[in-house]
Amino acid sequence: MLKMTHLAKVYRTEVVETYALRDFNIDVKEGEFVAVTGPSGSGKTTFLTIAGLLETFTGGEYHLDGIEVSQLNDNARSKIRNEKIGFIFQAFNLIPDLNVFDNVEVPLRYRGMKAPERKQRIMDALERVGLAARARHYPAELSGGQQQRVAIARALAGSPRLLLADEPTGNLDTQMARGVMELLEEIHREGATIVMVTHDPELAARAQRNVHVIDGQVVDLSEEPRFHAHNHAQTARS
Amino acid sequence: MLDIRPILSTLHRHKVTAVLLVLEIALTCAIVCNAIFLVRQRLDWMDISSGIDEANVVAVRPVNVKPTPDMHGRVQETLAALRDIPGVEQATLTNQLPLGGESWNSGLKLDRDVAQPAMHVTNYYGDDLIKTLGARIVEGRDFNPGEYAWLDDITSGRPDVVKPHVAIVTQFVADRLFHGKALGKTFYYDDIPMRIVGVISNLARPYAFDRTTMYGTILLPVHMTEGLGAYYVLRAKPGQSDAVLKAAATRLGSLDPNRIVMTKTHFSEVRDTFFASDRAMARLLVGVCIALLVITALGIVGLGSFWVAQRRRQIGVRRALGATRGDVVRYFQTENFLLATMGIALGMVLAYAINIVLMVNYELPRLPVVYLPVGAVALWLLGQVAVYAPARRASHVPPVEATRGN
Repeated sequence: MLKMTHLAKVYRTEVVETYALRDFNIDVKEGEFVAVTGPSGSGKTTFLTIAGLLETFTGGEYHLDGIEVSQLNDNARSKIRNEKIGFIFQAFNLIPDLNVFDNVEVPLRYRGMKAPERKQRIMDALERVGLAARARHYPAELSGGQQQRVAIARALAGSPRLLLADEPTGNLDTQMARGVMELLEEIHREGATIVMVTHDPELAARAQRNVHVIDGQVVDLSEEPRFHAHNHAQTARS
Repeated sequence: MLDIRPILSTLHRHKVTAVLLVLEIALTCAIVCNAIFLVRQRLDWMDISSGIDEANVVAVRPVNVKPTPDMHGRVQETLAALRDIPGVEQATLTNQLPLGGESWNSGLKLDRDVAQPAMHVTNYYGDDLIKTLGARIVEGRDFNPGEYAWLDDITSGRPDVVKPHVAIVTQFVADRLFHGKALGKTFYYDDIPMRIVGVISNLARPYAFDRTTMYGTILLPVHMTEGLGAYYVLRAKPGQSDAVLKAAATRLGSLDPNRIVMTKTHFSEVRDTFFASDRAMARLLVGVCIALLVITALGIVGLGSFWVAQRRRQIGVRRALGATRGDVVRYFQTENFLLATMGIALGMVLAYAINIVLMVNYELPRLPVVYLPVGAVALWLLGQVAVYAPARRASHVPPVEATRGN
């Protein structure tokens, strides 16, 4: 589903080159629930933005659902984001001027879907996250947990092949975080492929597989005992 | 893909800025529609035909510094000299010029016993005036030589003077007073019955406010005398008006050193002077329109830029969710189109309100409906052009912006 081989991401200035990802290799199979963990600045979020085609990469290969994406133009990348990927952001990223229904509708509109189908999908997605009754509410009228559920509904409404979650519970209290996590687990059980970036080992432990990133590379945790201590001490997101 | 409903929802939550822009567009639409209408009216008015051969008519106005004992002989001698200038088709001495500003007017009666004239007209004098001005007889004939009388004789009060009893009227007068059938009819001029022997195509008055009075003109068989603002008018052969005008001025001076040429002019200059204030008003209105449109465009650019900066994260989210750059540009263009449409709708109502005020206070005609779509299209285009730069800037917000500041 998602395969990166020797992937590199370099940020260049006139005086310095910074490797955010270096010889980065990962292979996520269809239906997997993978947690990507690592200390702050390790490159977790850079990985996620490249995985979600939000950013380009400097070297290596990236196949998403069998498509090599490095040569795609901006429109093609937009189309893949729209049709194959669902995003769940830490800060929810709902559009404050739109109500819940309209927020969930945003990616469906860009797909050019007819109104009746859009409405059906939106209501199904909102039912699934338990917020159908709040369709006409605005984000500011919802709790953090409810906003994240709306964001999940927005990600699910388009039936994506891949769900990318960036610290999905990072802005939530424990109870709300538990609810969101249970929802993600439920979605995974129904067959979704989920890649979740988190610095929270408790959350990561609930994923099917953990991938650890340090200094822009995937490392085998068994060979990096220092990582545990480091990771537990880390509270800021990468 | 049109986002009309979500855009309206967004605008509803940004009411103040949206309403201000709508009001700006509405006011611009209303003022521009009326201003274009006023400019169009001025241009139409300035384009009015004088009824003469404007390209080839020139005029010279002399002033005598000493009394002239034999005025009749002097005028005849002068006209003969002017007609003798190479390139002159015809010449006359007339009391006034079409669009010249100073006019000789009188009232025409259809019945001698009624107190009020049926129509106020301008009366032109001068031998062979029709030929000299290049006016066109549409019915009847020109004056015969025996029908003329000298102006100073007519006004002298001498009982032996035979005053003119025939007249030529314009088609306008014929239509207004005689339903188009004026030939042979009689009207009373200074209580003297005047038989109409000819009808000419319209000949402009020296002064009028609008088309409804511009052609209220009659010609009388009167030999004009110098003084009293009289002009020697000459019609030159095509392309020779400059030389003819120069020669005419010289010839007048050479015939009598006591005669000073006060004015020598091409008819085009007479027309320019007559319409100078209208031209200035039209330019002023065009300037006001341009200024308003520029201010509105700047308002759109300013608000567009503000909204792009304010919604940067939101645009990143949209891009992350699949919006192409084109979708982002279209979003802002659609938003502007909706605002412009609301402004234009309100502006049309305002335009008519302003028009009613102008109709009541300045006797302007009703604003034709055609000006509204013209104004609407102009403002739609203006909006789309003005919003393009901010929209394009918005389209360059990268999708990764969605993850920043988490």
